[in-house]
Amino acid sequence: MLSFLIKRLLGTIPVVLMVMIAVFAFVHLLPGDPARLVAGPEATAQDVAAVRTALGLDRPLPQQFLTYVGNTLQGDFGTSLRTRRPVVDEIGMRLMPTVWLTLFAMVWAVALGLLIGVVSAVRRGRWQDYGGMILAVSGISFPPFWLGLLLINLFSVRLGWLPTGGYGTWQHFLMPSFTLGLGVAAVMARFTRSAFIEIAREDYVRTARAKGVPERRVIWRHSLRNALIPIITMVGLQFGFLLGGSIVIEAVFAWPGVGRLLVDSVSYRDYPVIQALVLMFSIQFILINLLVDVLYVLANPEIRYQ
Amino acid sequence: MTLKSLMISSALSAMLLAPGAVLARDLTVAIQNNLTGLDPTNVNDTLSQTSLRLVYQGLFGFDKDMKLIPLLAESYESNKEATEFTIKLRSGVTFHDGTPFNAEAVKINIDRLRNPDNNLSRRSLVSMVNEVQVVDDLTVKLLLDAPFGAMIASLAHPGAMMISPAALEKHGSEIGRNPVGTGAFTFTRWSADTLEVARNDNYWKEPAKVDNIIIRSVPESGARMAMLQTGEAQFVPNFPPELMKVVEANPNLKVETSPSIVEWYVALNNNKEPFGNKLVRQALNHAVDKDAFCQVVFSGLCTPADSIIPKGLAFHVPVGEYEFDLDRARELMAEAGYEDGFSTEVWANSNTESLRAVQFLQQQLAQINVDVNVVPLEAGVAAQRIWSIESPEDAEVQMYYGGWSSSTGDADWGIRPLLLGENVPPSMFNVAYYADKELDAAINGAIGTADPSERAAFYETAQKLAWEGAPWIFLGVTDLIAAQTSDVTGVHMLADRGFLLEDAAFTE
Repeated sequence: MLSFLIKRLLGTIPVVLMVMIAVFAFVHLLPGDPARLVAGPEATAQDVAAVRTALGLDRPLPQQFLTYVGNTLQGDFGTSLRTRRPVVDEIGMRLMPTVWLTLFAMVWAVALGLLIGVVSAVRRGRWQDYGGMILAVSGISFPPFWLGLLLINLFSVRLGWLPTGGYGTWQHFLMPSFTLGLGVAAVMARFTRSAFIEIAREDYVRTARAKGVPERRVIWRHSLRNALIPIITMVGLQFGFLLGGSIVIEAVFAWPGVGRLLVDSVSYRDYPVIQALVLMFSIQFILINLLVDVLYVLANPEIRYQ
Repeated sequence: MTLKSLMISSALSAMLLAPGAVLARDLTVAIQNNLTGLDPTNVNDTLSQTSLRLVYQGLFGFDKDMKLIPLLAESYESNKEATEFTIKLRSGVTFHDGTPFNAEAVKINIDRLRNPDNNLSRRSLVSMVNEVQVVDDLTVKLLLDAPFGAMIASLAHPGAMMISPAALEKHGSEIGRNPVGTGAFTFTRWSADTLEVARNDNYWKEPAKVDNIIIRSVPESGARMAMLQTGEAQFVPNFPPELMKVVEANPNLKVETSPSIVEWYVALNNNKEPFGNKLVRQALNHAVDKDAFCQVVFSGLCTPADSIIPKGLAFHVPVGEYEFDLDRARELMAEAGYEDGFSTEVWANSNTESLRAVQFLQQQLAQINVDVNVVPLEAGVAAQRIWSIESPEDAEVQMYYGGWSSSTGDADWGIRPLLLGENVPPSMFNVAYYADKELDAAINGAIGTADPSERAAFYETAQKLAWEGAPWIFLGVTDLIAAQTSDVTGVHMLADRGFLLEDAAFTE
């Protein structure tokens, strides 16, 4: 297991290097001159030139790339072209809000998704199943910005129970995490349901029932445990996506997260921030995949890694 | 969690949620975009600049009607050629860190801004200054290398606000995160989406009436509206017109509209046929119904343009009207030899409002057989294809829809960057590539004098010439909308889309 982990971690190095090359090439291929954008709509050619020099964008591209790789390897991600704050600070301010929001959203997603999925599967073809799947389909089809505004209107404007947005106390988390989690919960529910239905046909489930194992134990222990593998895969993937930030949720709930930072940075051609964010997202994905592999072992001891 | 701790925590959360009796002394302003920085000499967006007016002040500034007023200066004199400006400073002013404000501080600030080695993005505001002389503790003299009649207006721009010399020394390039000025508020903190400032009790004027001002970026307009309704925010500048009805229906809220200094137009590239022909340009102006434009694009919150600069700028004169008259337009087209019309394309930013505007123009110009193809450009692409081109021959732009706001409040910055013959991209913004010797003479004449009545005469000539020459399709000047809770007074929008919050107060 340990040697597997080390091998996997070493294997990420070339992936990360490739991501760095790709993202550097990509941002520099985008049309648009960051110096012009940073200097603003009223800047004269002289002002733009000053900004270009100040940002180091007047140097040859290969030189800029080497500086970028060298600095990144030393943990120096540079300074945002737009705000002139260190990129580490820009991302640091927004990373934890995004991580926490993702975690809370996943709690909603897993709790609601598993429950609805299991109930639908067990009561397959009955009203609980139809009800659950109608909920799931609505969850997927609800536009999150619309749901978000509805929730704000109900819980903040009419009832006055929750703040409209922003990052702060636990109350601030309820609406955004629910809105974000609902879509994932819906996918989870459908996934869980089909995994469960498949497993219900397996011999060991029949055997368990034949042995007289109580139905509750058959469902939650024998079936769920075996259905967990595809569910863990799905949770891992969704978790990785959500860590990239959600521009819609962040906009509706004024959430200071990384999604909006990425969008702002792309429209300003804020190269250092784009590069650092994309690098971070890819490392997050790699680590989550690794974690998913480890969880497989915990869920199913039959799985072994060499 | 025990029952007791549960009860305590819910009691605590109830306190946190109680509608703001305790917090009523703090003013929260909800704005759309994030601020980009806190060094006034190095930011370029109106939101950052206007927010910084809370902490910083310039020698001159604007009142709520965008009229130039002295702030840290008391008065000024200049020679007739507009090459020497002697400025008397206000006495007894100190920066937030205790550093006295004096002639030396002014010299340090202007020298820092005009020094090309510092690469500050607002350098062009004072780049014409050749030397700053400290005459005595409260008098400075600016010596210019060429006449510049709009010098005082440039000093009123937020980019030329005064930073504490001690703070500059201490923070160096980090000054953009540690602002220290002379304003009514001192800096508290700046996080991902929030700027917080606190009342400056040692302010040289009467101290502010609110304890803190919190400027929060809330991108979604519906959410900003909700914040007003719940009392989480008290002021929302640049309010979306489509939500006005909701505000008007709510007795706790009010909405105010006022004319901006943003004029919208379509620049016609005079180097491209047929826009080199004045008759064609005038015909296009007659073919567009400006009242309908204001209705369609800005829900009526807009006034048809009556000059090349909006009414709110100093030295504006109403010079005329290209009345909507299709017969006249067709006549002019025929006279120019284009009775069968022509095909062209218009470039515009790819946002909903701009696209609505150019689609309206497309439909209007079709009436005189001008076939317009709409090309939306993302901001970065626009920067490249319009503003960063090397020489006028490379310019591909035919028609460009855009707006301009002269942030110095002066006619100079409303006309010179856009219409002086030599000010074509990439150096400035004459995207019409308009070059008219008489107009150039009037613009340069106005720069060459500091005498207001002479400047007024030059700008009147310039406006008449440019209106007649029609380098643009003149469209409209938009209104500003601001929404606020009714318990707040003293919050105003400035005509440049910024805002003034210094006099904010709660009525109850």
